[in-house]
Amino acid sequence: MTHPSSALDDTIHQRVRLGILAVLSESRRADFGYLQDVLEVTAGNLSQHLAILEDAGHVQITKAFEDKRSRTWVTVTRKGRAALATEVATMHALLDGIGSGQRP
Amino acid sequence: MNADEARESLAFSEYARKRARDDMGRPWLALVLLASLSVVSLSLTDAATSPTALFWVFVGPLGAGAIALYAYRRNRSSGIESSPLAYVAITLGLLILAYTAGKIGFAFQVPAAARFGPAFVAAAGYFALAWIERSWMVATISFALLAVTVVIIGFDLSSQQSKALVFGLYGITLLAVGFSLRVARKPVL
Repeated sequence: MTHPSSALDDTIHQRVRLGILAVLSESRRADFGYLQDVLEVTAGNLSQHLAILEDAGHVQITKAFEDKRSRTWVTVTRKGRAALATEVATMHALLDGIGSGQRP
Repeated sequence: MNADEARESLAFSEYARKRARDDMGRPWLALVLLASLSVVSLSLTDAATSPTALFWVFVGPLGAGAIALYAYRRNRSSGIESSPLAYVAITLGLLILAYTAGKIGFAFQVPAAARFGPAFVAAAGYFALAWIERSWMVATISFALLAVTVVIIGFDLSSQQSKALVFGLYGITLLAVGFSLRVARKPVL
């Protein structure tokens, strides 16, 4: 029998990356500045987290020129959506297990 | 990962979700249009071939398009985009269903259905919007419309009385929605 925590996805169970996917799962897409504002992280930090998610195929990043300025749009992929749902369900299961007296 | 970390991560992701919903969803424009179309659908059921009815058949979809354009432009400038398709689908579906409900009521000579049909359909439309916006306020409007439907059927109200009741409810609803959105911008769950 495997421990429930082994089902956690190392790529997304980090707090900021989970937040990125949570925002994107509610929307069609969000831009870099918006994510930075909501998640309260520095541009460099956010870039690193986005790169990890992009490498794992959880998000898609598109750069565009709009109104004479550069904008970076981020979209969650189907894989990212599924990974987020699994991660949240796993964490709930973990917490339920702790609540019902199982060792974490 | 220990329990505290799991709780903290879940709380943070929930905060992020709510923030995104808040920033995307300000349903007042959709509400105003949905309510207007619903009220208009009442007149459509009484005079389907009148110039007024034909006018609204075209204006309804155009209004839905205006909502889509508004949502698209506003979201684009704020940095988070939602899909306006849900609003368009609800608005168009509401118009068609309300119109159909009224017509069926008259076609089968059950004028009661023509009187409560549009209110019932509008309630369903608001309920769908409430689900999209995760808003208790919009859900309450939906239940109020459902209650009106029950009153119309239960008390066998006349066409005039049922129209007055639904119009009155729409008026109060729009005032309440407008006021609450001005006072507190976050009616989302």
